[in-house]
Amino acid sequence: MAKAFPSLRPQTQGYLLIAPALAVYALFAVYPMLNVVWMSFSAWNGLSPTSRFVGVANYRAVLTSDPVFWGALTNTVYWTALAVIVPNVVAFGLALALNQNLPGRSGLRVIFYLPVIIASIAVATIWKWMYDPFFGLFSNLLTTWGLTDFIGDWLGDRRIALWSVFAAYVWQTVGFAMVLFLAGLQNVSTTLVEAARIDGAGRWDVFRHVTLPAMKPTITVVFVLSLINSLKAFDIIYGMTGGGPAQSTQMLAMWAYTQSMQLGDFGKGAAISVILLVVTLAIVIPYLRWMQTQSEASK
Amino acid sequence: MATVTIRDVAKSYGSAKVMHGVSISIEDGQFVILVGPSGCGKSTLLRMIAGLETVTAGDIEIDGRRVNDAEPKDRDIAMVFQNYALYPQMTVAQNMGFALELAGRKKAEIAAEVQKAAEILSLTPLLGRRPGQLSGGQRQRVAMGRAIVRHPKVFLFDEPLSNLDAKLRVQMRAEIKALHRRLNATIVYVTHDQIEAMTMADKIVVLNAGRVEQIGSPLELYDHPSNLFVAGFIGSPAMNILPAAAEADGVRVAGMIALPVSTALPAGTALLYGIRPEHIVLGEEGGVEAEITVVEPTGADTHVGLRFAGHDLTVVTKDRLAVGPGDQVTVSLCSDRGHLFDAATGQRIIAQAG
Repeated sequence: MAKAFPSLRPQTQGYLLIAPALAVYALFAVYPMLNVVWMSFSAWNGLSPTSRFVGVANYRAVLTSDPVFWGALTNTVYWTALAVIVPNVVAFGLALALNQNLPGRSGLRVIFYLPVIIASIAVATIWKWMYDPFFGLFSNLLTTWGLTDFIGDWLGDRRIALWSVFAAYVWQTVGFAMVLFLAGLQNVSTTLVEAARIDGAGRWDVFRHVTLPAMKPTITVVFVLSLINSLKAFDIIYGMTGGGPAQSTQMLAMWAYTQSMQLGDFGKGAAISVILLVVTLAIVIPYLRWMQTQSEASK
Repeated sequence: MATVTIRDVAKSYGSAKVMHGVSISIEDGQFVILVGPSGCGKSTLLRMIAGLETVTAGDIEIDGRRVNDAEPKDRDIAMVFQNYALYPQMTVAQNMGFALELAGRKKAEIAAEVQKAAEILSLTPLLGRRPGQLSGGQRQRVAMGRAIVRHPKVFLFDEPLSNLDAKLRVQMRAEIKALHRRLNATIVYVTHDQIEAMTMADKIVVLNAGRVEQIGSPLELYDHPSNLFVAGFIGSPAMNILPAAAEADGVRVAGMIALPVSTALPAGTALLYGIRPEHIVLGEEGGVEAEITVVEPTGADTHVGLRFAGHDLTVVTKDRLAVGPGDQVTVSLCSDRGHLFDAATGQRIIAQAG
């Protein structure tokens, strides 16, 4: 590098190297983000050559007269609240178990990670088949065990459809968090565990006073990632229920898509997207700030 | 405070035997140092006393109670680790009081114990800090404080000074020794540094390849090493070793020097003659000729490297020398403080002045 650009300062070289990536990100991430904000204040059907500025009319419509928005928001909140807890707790447990010296543990790690590398739409299809009330795996298993009373229309019943989808989501996402937790567990000092055992700590005390504090940075990363992922949950729902039945599995990201792409109201779709963005930032930024002050205090 | 008895303790990892029947008895209030080269098993032995490693065979008793199968927390021991092993999220006070907290002691009682230990170790102004805000020496003190507050029967130290710089190491050495006197504690201390062992221990256990080579007071080991390994390991610079052979009327060293001693060994038996660097006398009449290879003044004394009859020797002298590399010098290797070892077994041979 130094020979190719003998007169360039290291900073200039750095900027040169990130320039291509920066251009791509500006074009495909920053510009659309700004554009969607602009779009949320306009009326546009996606086909006409011109759009019209309408002020906050889209937001007013979404917040006051949209029959689905509040349901989708509620679903998104429930979904997110569970999605940052359930898969991550399961993943933490798996990581703790697979961090032990078990025979065949690398094979087991691969198995639990496998769903992560499957495309979401394929995961959706697999689970849709398994949930089929007549030919699906679950119905057949329950029939075999003589538990026919428990057979439900997993994706067709509006009371349980969201949670049926959520189960598939847990299966799909556990592996990713598990791998991050496993990496984090490598930072837990064995000497510190030994020191704690000599100090009289039992398993739970060791976990609480040694493992958990050492895992804090990993937990933050996993929490933020799963928060963002669950707020924008789209593909698995799109593939399994498409938001139905009767909008019972509708979510904000999905509803924004439906408004724009299927109902042709890009202004409202953009407004929903912006609301989702604001909600996300409103949770993530304070959390990261708080974590930062925490880690600075412990240094 | 308590005694520690280690009886025929062996340790294997699968089929690999790393410790072959070690027996050591440690008296109440004794400062015992386990010393040896890397891989000799000294840390493994300490960890077995602590309960962090299982004992494959033999018995470990603390205060007369067999603890082989007891959990570390039930052994009434405290351990100071090489890398300090402090809880990073806790303050110094919390680190020191953690064991008492786990034991369910009252808050006021814990605070009093921590305060007392902090005073002993001059940690009082640091009690509110976290380990990340402390220097290496301060962290080491906190680790010791954590051990002190528990009033354990036995203190275990695992190479506690290895991560400190040379100056701090000397200072901490004195502090640990003072602490031992003050608490009158039973201490088992592991180090690979024989100077640490010599300066601090009441009793040194020299380990090599999972076996005890010798147990004794520092000066016993220095003056009467029972074998070649101990002779070479204890003392810095190391003892000079020269080939020798038993003769009818004495011992001949390097084929040249006749030692006026008798060994009662058959003539021709291969021996090794050991002499410490400070026992070789330079420039004495009637000595042998040697060539100086290197002169290293340390200030207090001078280390001189010699080449004699194809062997390298080190001499330590208090005299200021006006000679340099390449110069010839006469040296006297005969000393009543020399040592003889069997060349085949490495065991010490007792010789009578002839």
